[in-house]
Amino acid sequence: MPQEIERQYKEILRQYVMRQTEQNLYTGQNFSRQLIQKNIAPEEVISIHKASLEEMFPELPMNVWHSFDLLIEMMIRYGLALKEHESLLQKQEEMKVEMDLAANVQKTLLKTTVPSVSGLEIGLVSVPARQMNGDYVYFLSDSKDYAGVAVADVIGKGIPAALCMSMVKYGMDSLEDSHTNPAIVLDVINRIVEKSVDDDMFISMFYGRYNVENSIFTYASAGHEPALFFDSEKDDFSELHAKGLLLGVVPNVIYNQHDVKLKTGDFVVMMTDGVTECRTDEGFIEQEIIASLIRSVKHESAQTMVEMVYKELEKMQNFELRDDFTLVIYKKTS
Amino acid sequence: MGYQSSVEILTEWDIVAARQLGRNEAKEVGFGTVDQARITTAISELARNIYLYAGKGKIEIQRITEGGRFGIIIIASDEGPGIPDVRKVMEDGFSTSGGLGAGMPGVKRLMDDFKIETTLGEGTVIKATKWIR
Amino acid sequence: MVLKEEDNFVKGYISGEIDAFTAPILREKLSAIDLKDGLQAELNMTEVSYMDSTGLGVIVAFFKNVNANNGHVKLTGLSARLKRLFDITGLGEIMDIETDDKGGN
Repeated sequence: MPQEIERQYKEILRQYVMRQTEQNLYTGQNFSRQLIQKNIAPEEVISIHKASLEEMFPELPMNVWHSFDLLIEMMIRYGLALKEHESLLQKQEEMKVEMDLAANVQKTLLKTTVPSVSGLEIGLVSVPARQMNGDYVYFLSDSKDYAGVAVADVIGKGIPAALCMSMVKYGMDSLEDSHTNPAIVLDVINRIVEKSVDDDMFISMFYGRYNVENSIFTYASAGHEPALFFDSEKDDFSELHAKGLLLGVVPNVIYNQHDVKLKTGDFVVMMTDGVTECRTDEGFIEQEIIASLIRSVKHESAQTMVEMVYKELEKMQNFELRDDFTLVIYKKTS
Repeated sequence: MGYQSSVEILTEWDIVAARQLGRNEAKEVGFGTVDQARITTAISELARNIYLYAGKGKIEIQRITEGGRFGIIIIASDEGPGIPDVRKVMEDGFSTSGGLGAGMPGVKRLMDDFKIETTLGEGTVIKATKWIR
Repeated sequence: MVLKEEDNFVKGYISGEIDAFTAPILREKLSAIDLKDGLQAELNMTEVSYMDSTGLGVIVAFFKNVNANNGHVKLTGLSARLKRLFDITGLGEIMDIETDDKGGN
């Protein structure tokens, strides 16, 4: 223990004992910050305190010095806990660096371009709850006749979920033809996932394909949240259901496929359960609220719509996301 | 070779006896109060581990000297099951210390030198040294 | 989760919230169950206040394992929200599910 530290502590103690001012306490606290930075253990501080007292008040009874010895013993464990805490903080920093790298690799690997086809506006927002995103959006389009989108949610969060997603990506990559029927797309991905993925990892996926020529949106679902269809003429929402089992449970599944025709102003909202399971302290944010939120921005562009809905729901949840949040809107504009 | 003595660890009372031995030796060698407490705490952890996991073992204390400086070495040995994953045991974290900061990493921090030798099915020997600064 | 095992019948009472934090605990308890041939398992979820997709994953894995050994899994006491979750994922069709308000699938 550097002599200088002992001397300074003694001086601070002497000052405070003479005059119990707030100023002196403040000086003392600032000094303790230095002590922690210099890795002076709690038991050492008590030892200096005891030594300082012995100098200042040598007439104190033996029992007082004994009591300090007990205190020193007790503080040793606090000192160990403190050191462990510091070591863990350091470890945490290192892990964060690795996670940042992994998240970047993931972002690059899973990049998908929002297609541009005439008469259709596409909005996309996908925000992970932690660093790795367990939701996955993949666009399949020839930029002319078809714009397909897969919205997938890997059951689970964080690193395992994100790794699982590579399976889906490679599966989607192999389906180069954007004209492929949604039911087939799901069938292909299901077989890949069932074979290769961990026994308790499952994926829900919604696949929709927009046909530019006849404005028909064809869709199929593998255990995914139903999409919402907004009819601008009737000014109301309806759910787009399609029966189909989660991906990865059994290898042979029949996926039902349905069509809906889009008129100008109509739009389809696809999401993951990060949206429908939004919660505040009071409970779940009901479907109606989410629907009315979307309706309130229906005149904006698709991208603006998804961003505004996200911002609002994020605010309602106090800026804390419980689950990865993904929202895709296909809006027919002409 | 310095003066040495040891305590058999069989019951929880033996942990106290080992602590006492350690404190006496540390005092004789010339360690200050705080270091005495640290050495005793280290002995306490090691003896407790023997008691909890090996059932039976020994704590030996040796006074040592090297190149003009004086110190103490604690040798904790047992014929217990051995430590299967030494790396894990030396990691900080809830699993080793229960969030209390102690365990093997704690002993390592209390002493200057720390060595573990272990063989599965045969036993473990831990040597921890502390020098007077 | 509280478990009662007798012969080839296992009944589990699950309570609380099943999410990313608690699901591993449930998974451990379920994997500790001896998967005898033809095991009949019933999981009572009346006291489950919330379950997200991680919980679903654990239950489905259990279901797959029991079925692989010619057993059967039945879920009882599901709240409306839980039932919706099973319906949407299509699991309601392949699993034996009973809701909170008496009545079958």
